[in-house]
Amino acid sequence: MNARSVAAWSGACLFIVLFTTNPAYKVLVLAAAIATLAAGAGLHRMRGLFKAIALIGAFATALNFVSAHLGRTILFTLPPQIPALGGPYTLEAVAAGLSGGTTVAAAIVAAAPFSLMLASHDVMDALPRALSRTGAAIAASLNLVPSVASSFVQVSEAQRLRGWKPRGPRSWAEVVVPVVLTSVEGSIQLAESMEARGFGSGPRTSLKSARLQQQDWVLVATAAAAVIGFIAGRASEWYPYPALQVPSIEVIPLAACLLLFTPVLTWRSRG
Amino acid sequence: MAIARLTNLSYWYPGAPDAALRDVTIDIEGGLTLVAGPSGGGKSTLLRALNGLVPHFHGGRIAGSIEVHGMDVITTPTRRLARTVGFVFQDPELQTVYDAVDREVAFGLENMAMPPTQMADRVEEALRAAGISHLARRSVTTLSGGERQRVAIASALAMRPRLVVLDEPTSQLDPEGAAMVLDATMRLVQQGRAAVIAEHRLDRLLPAAQAHLTVTQGRITTGPPTAPSKPARHTPSQPGALAWSLTGVTATFGNHTVLDAIDAAGHHGEVVALCGPNGGGKTTMLRLIAGAISPTLGKVERRPGRIAYLPQNPTALLHRPTLRAEVAMTLERAGEPDAPELILQQLGLTEVAHRYPRDLSTGERQRAALATVLPGKPAFVLLDEPTRGMDDAARDALIKLVEHLRDTGSAIVLATHDDDLRAALADRVLEVSGGKVTGNVTCKVT
Repeated sequence: MNARSVAAWSGACLFIVLFTTNPAYKVLVLAAAIATLAAGAGLHRMRGLFKAIALIGAFATALNFVSAHLGRTILFTLPPQIPALGGPYTLEAVAAGLSGGTTVAAAIVAAAPFSLMLASHDVMDALPRALSRTGAAIAASLNLVPSVASSFVQVSEAQRLRGWKPRGPRSWAEVVVPVVLTSVEGSIQLAESMEARGFGSGPRTSLKSARLQQQDWVLVATAAAAVIGFIAGRASEWYPYPALQVPSIEVIPLAACLLLFTPVLTWRSRG
Repeated sequence: MAIARLTNLSYWYPGAPDAALRDVTIDIEGGLTLVAGPSGGGKSTLLRALNGLVPHFHGGRIAGSIEVHGMDVITTPTRRLARTVGFVFQDPELQTVYDAVDREVAFGLENMAMPPTQMADRVEEALRAAGISHLARRSVTTLSGGERQRVAIASALAMRPRLVVLDEPTSQLDPEGAAMVLDATMRLVQQGRAAVIAEHRLDRLLPAAQAHLTVTQGRITTGPPTAPSKPARHTPSQPGALAWSLTGVTATFGNHTVLDAIDAAGHHGEVVALCGPNGGGKTTMLRLIAGAISPTLGKVERRPGRIAYLPQNPTALLHRPTLRAEVAMTLERAGEPDAPELILQQLGLTEVAHRYPRDLSTGERQRAALATVLPGKPAFVLLDEPTRGMDDAARDALIKLVEHLRDTGSAIVLATHDDDLRAALADRVLEVSGGKVTGNVTCKVT
């Protein structure tokens, strides 16, 4: 899988979901992103992601429901004397919140292949040649993250047993300082190791070519077609206030959104 | 012809008043050169001088000359020397750049701007030479420590260096991992490469070594090192009251059951050793006894009293301005009247008591960490792989200290792969493997 074609597909998803106000198309993009990710990474790896987007969607909906006292379909009303919360609670506010939550969820799922389906070196290989040294340095620093996390657990546990008790932010220095010092020492050692293998001696090459293969080109082309089709098709806008309306769907923008399902076919083998 | 020639070489780290290497004059020939000596003696500095990390990466002052394969190390940058000298460091986790094995092995070749078509063959050749062709497509994070260290060896070999330098490559590994790495090192030598290795586990390498160097206080002597001393045999203890017990304890992390309905117990004045493979549950058992984690099922009981817990990487704890302050903090929190000087003296650290603990040598840091955790009279002493990376002197100091704590009534549990440590200290050995605990075992690992 080529990180550049993944970027093209993710970019198309993000463009459509952020460009339109129509929740029908947002839902389609979300569905395409979930189906693609399920095909590529497998449903079992998406449990955490599903929980996160469900939480975010619920939060966006709830926030809009309690803060936007607009719309004609009133579900109930709280006394206006209650600060911030007082006023009518409407079905339109729920719909607007759901639409906003769908936008955030679709954006997260569309970007998820970068972490769930690509290794850090795949992404670094896709960077322009001028950034290859920076990319290698970033890849190396990402590899230190797990050791920092395990160091934090180990140090905090050992300090507790040594009599440390968390009492306010300053007390955390007893844990944070050793973890930071250990991480800095680890970084220096990694830099030493990179130097010992010739890092920084001049222009670099890469073991794996980042050149697009035929199926990558297909993906890039369909992503571009989806964006162009969506713009050209003039998808109708949607605004839930003052009265809730069913969003309308047009043929060309619908077809453009359906193109985003293309990687379900090409990435299936990754599961 | 010598592959490396050091002439009157002296080196001072930045700000250090004393030289880390003093007037070193040696020739390093082909074959295997074994470097021995106490921690802090200058082994790592000597090895780093061979590929120019000393002085190019570390700075400081250098005098004399050093040539490797005809190149002047002092005027040649390390990144250029990298094509001639491959280097393998101590900690396998801190020398990995990429997350895939084949990419990791190719990293040096990528830095040399080798065309990708040639690179694939070189990666394959290096993986084969290190005996890990089967790992080519694996993610580095899924490998054991020994496998990761062999990836580091392959990474060095990929650049077809004239000389491979290995700095205590087994110090952070369990016995299986260490055996894997030493096998790979022996394979290098059998393939006709020149290798220089600093190592505490000398038994396997001594017969194959063509040359021996001993580095002590920056000075080098040639000739076989003295045989590593075996610690004194175990002196029987007199166990007291029951100190801790685990009854029907199960520990589960996510979907993985690490310990499954185990029963175990220990007494005051007794040393219980835990052995078994990595991932078998030794650390989890220690954490349960310490109360750091709760069991999923079953009951953990422990009499009241202070717990001294040594984690696997104890030096990570050190952060106070001086070693004395570090020890004083433990004693103050424990409300114990002892002076910090007592344990510092027991561990031979009096002279460095006023130094910043992270500036100490590896061996001194190990002892500093022990001094930080173990002062006073803890009721429980829980040690997780306490001799990992330790030299003989530090291990001897640890044994004496643990015996002293045992005799004063501490209940001691140590998780260790170290056969000699178990032989010296353990009253009972429990094998923790596959989620189960078996008592009265020998647990010998070769």
